Formats: sequence, C-alpha cells, structure tokens
Amino acid sequence: MKTRTIRAWSWTHKWSSLVSTLFLLMLCVTGLPLVFSHEIEEVLLEQNWAPANPDGPLLSLDEVLAAGLALHPGEVPAFMSFDEDRPVVNVTSVDPNGPPSAYSFEPIDQTSGAVAPPVAGHPVMEFLLQLHTDMFLGLPGMLFLGLMGLMLIVAVVSGAVLYAPFMRRLPFGTVRAAKAARTRWLDYHNLLGVVAAAWLLVVGATGVVNTLATPILAYWKNTALKELTVAYDAPAPTGERASLDAAVERAKQALPGKTLQFVAFPGTDYSTDHHYAVFFHGDTPLTTHLTTPALIDARTGALAAVAPTPWYVKALSLSQPLHFGDYGGLGLKILWALLDLATIVILGSGLYLWLVKGRRKPA
Amino acid sequence: MSRKDLTIWAIFGAPVVVFVLSLTGLIGALLGDGVWDAVFSALLASTVIVTVWALIRRRR
Repeated sequence: MKTRTIRAWSWTHKWSSLVSTLFLLMLCVTGLPLVFSHEIEEVLLEQNWAPANPDGPLLSLDEVLAAGLALHPGEVPAFMSFDEDRPVVNVTSVDPNGPPSAYSFEPIDQTSGAVAPPVAGHPVMEFLLQLHTDMFLGLPGMLFLGLMGLMLIVAVVSGAVLYAPFMRRLPFGTVRAAKAARTRWLDYHNLLGVVAAAWLLVVGATGVVNTLATPILAYWKNTALKELTVAYDAPAPTGERASLDAAVERAKQALPGKTLQFVAFPGTDYSTDHHYAVFFHGDTPLTTHLTTPALIDARTGALAAVAPTPWYVKALSLSQPLHFGDYGGLGLKILWALLDLATIVILGSGLYLWLVKGRRKPA
Repeated sequence: MSRKDLTIWAIFGAPVVVFVLSLTGLIGALLGDGVWDAVFSALLASTVIVTVWALIRRRR
C-alpha cells in the first residue's frame, strides 16, 4: 500500500472512531446487561403468581381491553400482546394528548380481569434500554445513535484495511507483551478488532437498521398500506369500533396455522388510523421472527387485507434478534457478552493509542 | 526488522477464516433451533477460541 493510501485510511479510521467512541462505549456498557434482560428480569421480578381462576373460562379480549383501559381513564388502546406461558394479556395504552411514546402497560389476568404482576419491564432495565435506544431524546436520539453505528462500520472497515500494514511482519495473533505499553495495546487492539470484525459488523449494521424503525414503519404505512385508507377521511373513533374478539377471530381465519403475536390498534406505528393490525408469526426458527399482519377494518370488523410485509420491514424484524443476540440460547448470549467486553477493550485501547500518539508526536 | 514482508494471504488468512466461521454462526443460529443453536454458537465461539489461543501461544 502506498503511504498516501495508508494515510487516507488512517485518517478515516481515526475520525470515524473519535466521533463515535464515547457513544459506542455507552452502548457497550448498557448493552451488556441488556443481553441478559430476560434472565435478569426473571430474578428481579420473580413472583409466584397464579391466575385467579385457573380452570375458569377466559374473559373475551374486549373485556380484557376494558379492564386494562379502566386503569387509565382517558387513554386509548395502542397494543395488545399475549404471554406464552400464562393466561395473561398485556394491554398497552397511551394518552392521545400526551407524548406519543408515554405508554401505560398493564398485564391483565384473563381469568379474572385483575392486574397480574409484570414479567418484563423492570424500571432499571427500562432505563438502560431507553438510554441504549435513544438516550431519552426520542427519534432524534435514535437517529443520532444510528449515525454512530454507521461510524462504527466505517471504523471496522478502515481498521481491517489498516490491519495489513500494521501486521506485515507479524504472524497472526502476535502480542508483543514485553514491549512498551503502546506496542502491547496496539497488538491487543489489532487482534481483538480483526477477530470480532464479523460480529461488530452484524451488530453494528442491525443496530443501525433498528434505529430506522420509525421511518421504516412510516414508509410502509404510507406506501403499501396507503390504499387501504383512502376510503376514510378521519381516524376510526374509539367509540365506534367493531369487536376486538371478532376481529382477531377473523384474522385467524385469514392466516390459519400461524401464531397470534400482537394486535396494533388504529393510529399506532404498526397500523393505519382505520384498522386493527393483527400480527402473526410462523413456527420455524426463522419465521418466528417474521410477522404477517391481517388488517381488520376497525369500524366494520371486515377483513381489509392480509399484508405480507415488504423486504425492508422483514429486514427490520430480522435485525432485532441479530442485534440482541437472543435467538440461540444462553450460549449465544454469553458469546454476545464476551464480544461486547472485547469491544470495550477495542474502544478503550483505540482511544489510548490516539492519546499517546498525540502526546509523543504533536502534529 | 530485517524479515521480509508477509504476503496478503499470510496476513489475512486467519482473520478471513474467523470472519467466515463467525458470520456463518451468526446467521446459521437464526435458521436452526436446538442442537443447531449449539453448532452455530460454536462457530461464533471461534472468535473467543482464537483470541485465547493467540494470547497464550503468540505472546512474546
């Protein structure tokens, strides 16, 4: 490689890293416990809960919804999801006049209508998740972190290019532990960086895609789902909505053999202003991550469309497990944690190498 | 240092192998369940194994 080429890559590596290092460190530190959120919440929220009437009949979804909304007068329904191993339906609602993401979340015992203890969403984990997702800054914060993710990708690629001139006389994996600290940390930085490259690129790229969730879903609604909404001028008012149970039953008929995952109510990110979007997922390892919604007209209860999601919504769906590392058991999570720790060392050593270089040889 | 420069393959051989193994593990674990999770996790574990190997055997 020519000196000038090396210098250009070096400049790229230095600046993409410097701009993003502090934010990436924050993401690594908050991401580490988040990898194990399921396990941590099992401990933090461990409660011996049993449904009120284990053998009794289940309340209808309309009754569950009413029970959930009664706890938050003035709010409108946003989402409904279903616990897998207990007869609990989660009702998410939101104040139509408040901030759009200030959701209320109530797990409702479907055998009694009473509130069940939550199995997720411990305040500490929620705080870490929010910090990790948007630093409490909403969409601008999310997009900013997405930009930092892009910087990470640039830094990994430029780092891989620079690996060649640095390693041209060293066998793979060499760590000159007896040399000066700068040399030693350069070797650790190069080794960990090149070994973790694939993971860094996957977690970085899927993280960037996740930060684009809001625009991706908005684009989907404004294109593929647009024609379903042209018949209406005003959003479906909450008082004039068809039965939710009937809507879910209708959706099940439209997508037989799939598993009900959640319902998005009219006006939320995952639906139009006029439909219940009833989301189902498949049963193979891959298709459990891919959802298909049946859209039910919220006024009439009629099936409006089965809307297989376009490629960019599928990409968003697959980016979630690939970023969180929660798709391959505990072993995969442990590897996620080790690679997260390796990333902290890469970021820290990179920062250190820049600092000592600047001090030794002022530009 | 008077040694000759390594070829591009000598430099990137091992990193490319680890890259391919770990990428296969990352994507494969999404496509399989049960025992496949263990198999593909093991491929991703090549990152950790190679690092530990280097820290022990290539330290000088």
